[in-house]
Amino acid sequence: MKKKVLLVDDSNTVLLMEKMILAKGPYDIVTARDGAEGIAKAKSEKPDVILLDVMMPNLDGLSACAALRADPDTAHIPIVMVTTRGEQANIETAFRNGANDYVTKPINGLELLTKLEYILGESAA
Amino acid sequence: MSENTRPFIQKIVNDAREYVQSLLDENKRLHDLLAGMQEENRRASARYVEVEQQNTNLANLYVASYQLHGTLHRERVLNAIKEIIINLIGSEELGVWEVNDGYLTLIDSFGLDDNEWAAIPAGAPSMIARVAASGETFVASNTMIALEGREKNLTAYVPLKLDDDVIAVIGIFTLLQQKEGLEPVDHELFDLLATHGATALHCTKLAAGAAQ
Repeated sequence: MKKKVLLVDDSNTVLLMEKMILAKGPYDIVTARDGAEGIAKAKSEKPDVILLDVMMPNLDGLSACAALRADPDTAHIPIVMVTTRGEQANIETAFRNGANDYVTKPINGLELLTKLEYILGESAA
Repeated sequence: MSENTRPFIQKIVNDAREYVQSLLDENKRLHDLLAGMQEENRRASARYVEVEQQNTNLANLYVASYQLHGTLHRERVLNAIKEIIINLIGSEELGVWEVNDGYLTLIDSFGLDDNEWAAIPAGAPSMIARVAASGETFVASNTMIALEGREKNLTAYVPLKLDDDVIAVIGIFTLLQQKEGLEPVDHELFDLLATHGATALHCTKLAAGAAQ
């Protein structure tokens, strides 16, 4: 059964790259262009996992992550942060805000697929 | 033990020895078979990683090309160049300079001091001017040349060429912290930017001219 993945990023380049990486997997893709739209889509689409960019207009990824965790409708959805900044402090902040995992840009396809398989396998168990 | 039973006992011992030896041989055969399968598994895993990396590299090149040629608006082409450098190559310090009237004029940037880089005389004693004149991509890690001043953190200058004419130069400075260095696909992206970036930018001028 296909899993639904919500991609949240304001960059067309990143969205297209993520779509191409996930295209060969058993995934249905839904996209959003900023944190606020991401939260709305998470509530309406009920994805199995969310890939959430950190730096975005309207509402940044870290705030969106915290908001998703605070909402009972979305609190259970695994979140993978996609970050340009790989510094330890940023990653710790992401985990504090409720992220399950993270990948850094430029995105490594195998790393992303492996993490998604692990997270989705774990959440299905 | 009587003389009559000795050969019989000896035969039993010999049979037992043969049986044990056959078990040892079978054990070795299975051990070798397992080692072969493990080696095959290792090779398949390595090949899988290699193929996935090739897939990612091809996706990078496809996305870059798609983004560059997806618009005829100058700002959007420049934005596509920025996004390619930030998200696919991995740097948040970059600039794009257009070559005209004897100057390299900064037309877009990210993470740079625009005032410091605004206009560079084409004859200035700097690497960017040399790249604009030669039309050759300059990758700092490929040379022993020690860059100074504002070019100290340079990663690469990529000239955007239409035929042999350099119409612009892209400068890429400090790479993202998690990026240990340039990879083969980054050099392919440089080549792609050099040709497709130039035609994409040129097409925006043609489209703007046609619209007027």
